[in-house]
Amino acid sequence: MSMQVRDLIKAVRGCKTQQKIREVITRESALIRNSFRKEDKINRPRNIYKLIYIHMLGFPSEFGQLECLKLIASPSYIGKRIGYLGLSILVKENQEVLFMSTNIIRNDLSSEDRYIVGLALAALGNIGSSEMLRDLAPEIEKLMESESSYLKKKATLVAIRTIRLVPESVDRFIGKVRTLIGEKNHGVVLTGLQLVLSIVKTEPETIVKFRKLVPGLVRMLKSLINSGYSSEYDFRGTADPFLQYNILRLLRYLGEGSKKSSKLMADILTQVGTSGGITKNVEIAILYEAVLTILSIESDSKLRVTAINTLSRFLSGRHNNSKYVALNTLLKAVNTEPKSLKRHRKVIVECLKDQDISIRRRALDLVFGIMDKQNVESLTQELLDCLPKAENEFRYDITAKICTAIEKFPPNDKWQIDTLIKVLTIGGQYIRDDVSSMMTSVIGRNPDLQYYTSKKLFNILLNDRYRNQTFLQVSSWVIGEYGDILMQKSEKDGELITTTQALDLFQILLESSRTTDGTKYYILTALIKFSTRIEGHDELIKKIIKPYREHVNVELQQRACEFFLLFDYSEIRDPILDRMPVFVEKEIELEIEEEISENNNKGMNYNLQENTHTIQNQINNIQNIQNIPNVQNTQNTEMNELLMLNTDTKKTQTQNKQDSLNFLKEIFNGSSSSNTNNMNNMNNNMNNNMNNNMNNNMNNNGGQDLGLDLGLGLGLGLGLGMNNQSQRQNQNKMQMQKQQNQNQTINQNKNQNQNQRQVQNQSQNKSQNQNQNQNQSKVQNQPIIVYEKNGMKIEMNFKVGNIRGAPAVMSIIKTTNSSPLLISNYLLQVAVPKTLKAQLSQPSGQNIPPNGNGSINQQLQIIKMVNQKTQLAILLRINYVINGQKIVENKEVSNIPIIF
Amino acid sequence: MIKFILIVNKLGQTRLAQYYTTGLSINKRVALENEITRRCLSRKDKECSFLEFRDLKVIYRRYASLFFLVGVDEEENELGILEFIHCLVETLDRYFENVCELDLMFNIDKAYMILDEMALNGNIIETNKKNIIAPLHIIDQVSKKLK
Repeated sequence: MSMQVRDLIKAVRGCKTQQKIREVITRESALIRNSFRKEDKINRPRNIYKLIYIHMLGFPSEFGQLECLKLIASPSYIGKRIGYLGLSILVKENQEVLFMSTNIIRNDLSSEDRYIVGLALAALGNIGSSEMLRDLAPEIEKLMESESSYLKKKATLVAIRTIRLVPESVDRFIGKVRTLIGEKNHGVVLTGLQLVLSIVKTEPETIVKFRKLVPGLVRMLKSLINSGYSSEYDFRGTADPFLQYNILRLLRYLGEGSKKSSKLMADILTQVGTSGGITKNVEIAILYEAVLTILSIESDSKLRVTAINTLSRFLSGRHNNSKYVALNTLLKAVNTEPKSLKRHRKVIVECLKDQDISIRRRALDLVFGIMDKQNVESLTQELLDCLPKAENEFRYDITAKICTAIEKFPPNDKWQIDTLIKVLTIGGQYIRDDVSSMMTSVIGRNPDLQYYTSKKLFNILLNDRYRNQTFLQVSSWVIGEYGDILMQKSEKDGELITTTQALDLFQILLESSRTTDGTKYYILTALIKFSTRIEGHDELIKKIIKPYREHVNVELQQRACEFFLLFDYSEIRDPILDRMPVFVEKEIELEIEEEISENNNKGMNYNLQENTHTIQNQINNIQNIQNIPNVQNTQNTEMNELLMLNTDTKKTQTQNKQDSLNFLKEIFNGSSSSNTNNMNNMNNNMNNNMNNNMNNNMNNNGGQDLGLDLGLGLGLGLGLGMNNQSQRQNQNKMQMQKQQNQNQTINQNKNQNQNQRQVQNQSQNKSQNQNQNQNQSKVQNQPIIVYEKNGMKIEMNFKVGNIRGAPAVMSIIKTTNSSPLLISNYLLQVAVPKTLKAQLSQPSGQNIPPNGNGSINQQLQIIKMVNQKTQLAILLRINYVINGQKIVENKEVSNIPIIF
Repeated sequence: MIKFILIVNKLGQTRLAQYYTTGLSINKRVALENEITRRCLSRKDKECSFLEFRDLKVIYRRYASLFFLVGVDEEENELGILEFIHCLVETLDRYFENVCELDLMFNIDKAYMILDEMALNGNIIETNKKNIIAPLHIIDQVSKKLK
């Protein structure tokens, strides 16, 4: 005989080990199974009860599933109750057995005892499968109209489940909403609101219909807020908070995207948002829901500011829970409400010091979210302050954010370096891997900072040798690379930094047991660089390197051996260890360039395939093929800029339109060219292309005209801005072409005529409207000869772009020598107006062989520091030696047609 | 929407579990309960009552020796759920007169009934304690008569 439920629970509680529990359960399960086999009706409820308990402990209970069915079919309420409980817990995952219960449930739904109906509804609401719900939908619908609110609310929740599992049944329930919401019973209204929510989520089109509910909902909310104490649904002084926040949530769905509805609810939202206290959880819950609604619907800016202020109040409160939800919500609002958010900087920063890691982590995200160029310095400082106290895991997050901030909003390079050093020293080993590469690239491109940085790092190292490895690696690299600058300048400044001191330091670090092998690689490399940077210390360096030729680490050993041998080959040693070239950041334009050529090819193919209708077209195609490669070769970069202009329109256009556009870009390239020969070609090309595209357009679809016109207007407009002559030529050519077309293509000629006229008009209008500055800045790309003397020629080409978010001009300076004499000791210096900042890369050499047999290339980056339009002007100082004669010359380059 | 409601004791043993989602095998369920409970129990008093678990938000609250955990989806109001937990506890308290772990263990059917009166299909249905308990009192009266 199996035991009582009570005894089973006691037995399990008495077990000391999991093994014992298993034994008890196995024994009991066997007894229960026996009892089921014997069809023991009396003990059935008790057995199911025990199975529920066994199931909760995580043991198998499947054998009881069919018994649950027998129980719910039994006439007694007690039996049914346990049966339904078993059904919703034990049979939940077994669809087949569940489906078998459909008919029993149907019977119970029509029972006269409302508690039996309630049981059936509860089971259906929790576990009903889509088949069951589809079958029983009529019964549910009927029960939603029942007189008893007890059944009504349960039936409504079953309806919600039905809508979720059988979305097509939604129409059945839409009509019920109004009466449900109009009820007095809070439970029914609450479920009614949830029904609307689930309908709206399943069928978003119904939102429009439900917007009519808004005034009623607003009234309901108002009466709840103003009613004050109501004994029935009072939660610590707040009337039915669940109803309140469900109304607010529904309003959110209804207000989204509708100005009218949003306006209707603005008043009540303001009232909720400003009146509630923030001491009790209930009040905060409602406020929070109201804030979410305000931020989602089409509220005016004043209301939105109120919402953000409310959240800020949460942040300064005592409750961690409200801080958590406030930070989460603010994170979502970062993009939409950046201004009002930034006003609460202080409170947000304060959350960085909270005791709860999940709050700190969110605060960190938020701090990073509100960061911009203006506040980056102070906010980064705040983050740095938190760093020493943070847990290791969190430290990694902080340093990662600081590094991203350094990359994204650097006010200046010196700050960037200072902050990086701080992160390196405080952050310890919890640093993103690319910090070191970021550091080296910043120093590399700033000759002014090389001394500053190396001195700073050297002094830190001197005072505290056992810093973290990343710091040691970065500092040994910097000191090695810029050792000569460090020594020379520190001597001038009267600083007490000597080469022997540095070498001693390296030696101590190498010998220290705290230095990892990985760091030792860096130190060895720094040492060998020292040997080329500073003369006269070879022996000492050799002495330091020597023992590492027998080091146990193979990599270290190899380096030491190689470096040691390098001393014997001084002619290759110097070039090998030459200063690192400046690291140039990858530009986005490269990708665009690829894209454009791809599109061009597509365009060409397209024309080839589609336009074989008329002879005119065929001729055009041939010309296209002949002309386009020229354009691509000579003016590749121009296309970039054009594409950049067009990127916005590009996205929305179809492939066909894209092709038209791209063709026009090529044409434009031609018309901006100063080469007349080329220009004629281009003009031909332009007309041909235009005809092609037009024919295409007309052949395919008249609706695409817009894309074509746009493209033409843009291309022509830019061309006109550059060169009036070419405009006139274009027009002449176009008219000529038009006449030809009229003669040749009879069918299409009317349309074409119209189209061409349209295009002409548009292009003229656009060219007038176009801002001239824009034209100039985006277009110029032909190399300019800035200097030509003694057979030496310096050419510069310019390209407008962005460097780290700031507008910039990139230029490649190419120096050639056509004289019969060698030019040596070539050095170019660059100066720009104060509003700009120039960075010149190392030249690719110092000597230029005679007779045009070589050239020197240098890259120049000019970054705009001030936000105003600036005419680009450059002053060059050219130093070189030719024929044994030293020449120094200044040359002003002011004819660059770039304003940016 | 509520995805599950769990009541566990200090040792992490489940005392009541109600899932409003399907597709959870018994092994998965045990693993999930173990993991959530472990994470909840390891949290300090000063930390907030929410944790993120897979794609769910778990809201928990401790009452004496019992932990009440509710898993909800993204949209649900965390603070509202805290209030719901409180309401559940108060209701259990009223019915069992100072509810404790043993009350739940020996009257699991009643506990489930109370829960079913309060929430169904992951939606909150009734929060008035009197209304919730009314059907239970009727059952108790009927059972007494039968005895």
